[in-house]
Amino acid sequence: MHEEKCSHIWEMVDVIPCFIITEKCYHCGKIATYFSTEHTPPIEEYREGVHLWNFMGSAQSIKFNLKCTKCDKLEKFDELLGVMMCTGCDEKCEVNVLLKKLEPKRTWIYVAFGYLPIDEKKQLSPKQISILEDYFNQRRKSSKSTIKIVSHKLVNNIANCYAEIIKDVDMLCLTLPEK
Amino acid sequence: MQLIEIIEKLNLKTLTNVEERNVEGVFISDMLSDVMTNAKSGNLWLTIQTHKNTVSAANLVNLAAIVITHEKEVPQETIDLANRFYVIILGSDLSTYELVSKLVGIGLTP
Ligand SMILES: [Zn+2]
Ligand SMILES: [Zn+2]
Repeated sequence: MHEEKCSHIWEMVDVIPCFIITEKCYHCGKIATYFSTEHTPPIEEYREGVHLWNFMGSAQSIKFNLKCTKCDKLEKFDELLGVMMCTGCDEKCEVNVLLKKLEPKRTWIYVAFGYLPIDEKKQLSPKQISILEDYFNQRRKSSKSTIKIVSHKLVNNIANCYAEIIKDVDMLCLTLPEK
Repeated sequence: MQLIEIIEKLNLKTLTNVEERNVEGVFISDMLSDVMTNAKSGNLWLTIQTHKNTVSAANLVNLAAIVITHEKEVPQETIDLANRFYVIILGSDLSTYELVSKLVGIGLTP
């Protein structure tokens, strides 16, 4: 089928188990996140441009792409760190406003996160976010609930947000060696 | 198979509000990333994982309910979050293996 005319049905492909690494720069206070497929990320501090990154922690997660089962179109998600369900922690947050509006219809709001720092890493496009939302809605067999996925740019204050990205913490995650 | 029928037949504890749902199959894992990748809509999710983030994983892929096995205690914050987002959490004092054999026994076969 011709790609443009296809009403894509997405499936998850190229699933790679990996670690979400979180680092903090002690010069500017910025937080950085990225994926590592290595069991041991660099835990010594290192310099990158103006930053001096220090290892904060890691959690197990997955990286994946989506592929259309009908036309084989591959949509890559290299910029996606993970998704998090909005639990409505901040009255001033636009994501919370959206949740309050859609919650009565059982539409759950998920935030798609790119890598941090936001202003220094390439971020997901609105088109990618829309495809991700289509995928998770296509996976639901019931129409009693739906999900809406929004960009992390809508979050009022990421540092103070109570919600967490779906990831595996305190199970297979790495810890710093005892001092 | 209907969820309430399963709850009654297997004597599962209802740790959250419950409503009738259609159960299609069982998924067993203690990793949220595994749920995100492999669980199917309508699955009953058997786990010992009680972190509040199980609620967001369950709703992302539209699971029928979460069953915490081995009589593991579920934190109140997980239960509160589940109630708000219509995620059903059930409890069993059986091991995951024992519970699976009973699920197969009542006809919930793979
Ligand atoms: Zn297609
Ligand atoms: Zn810096």
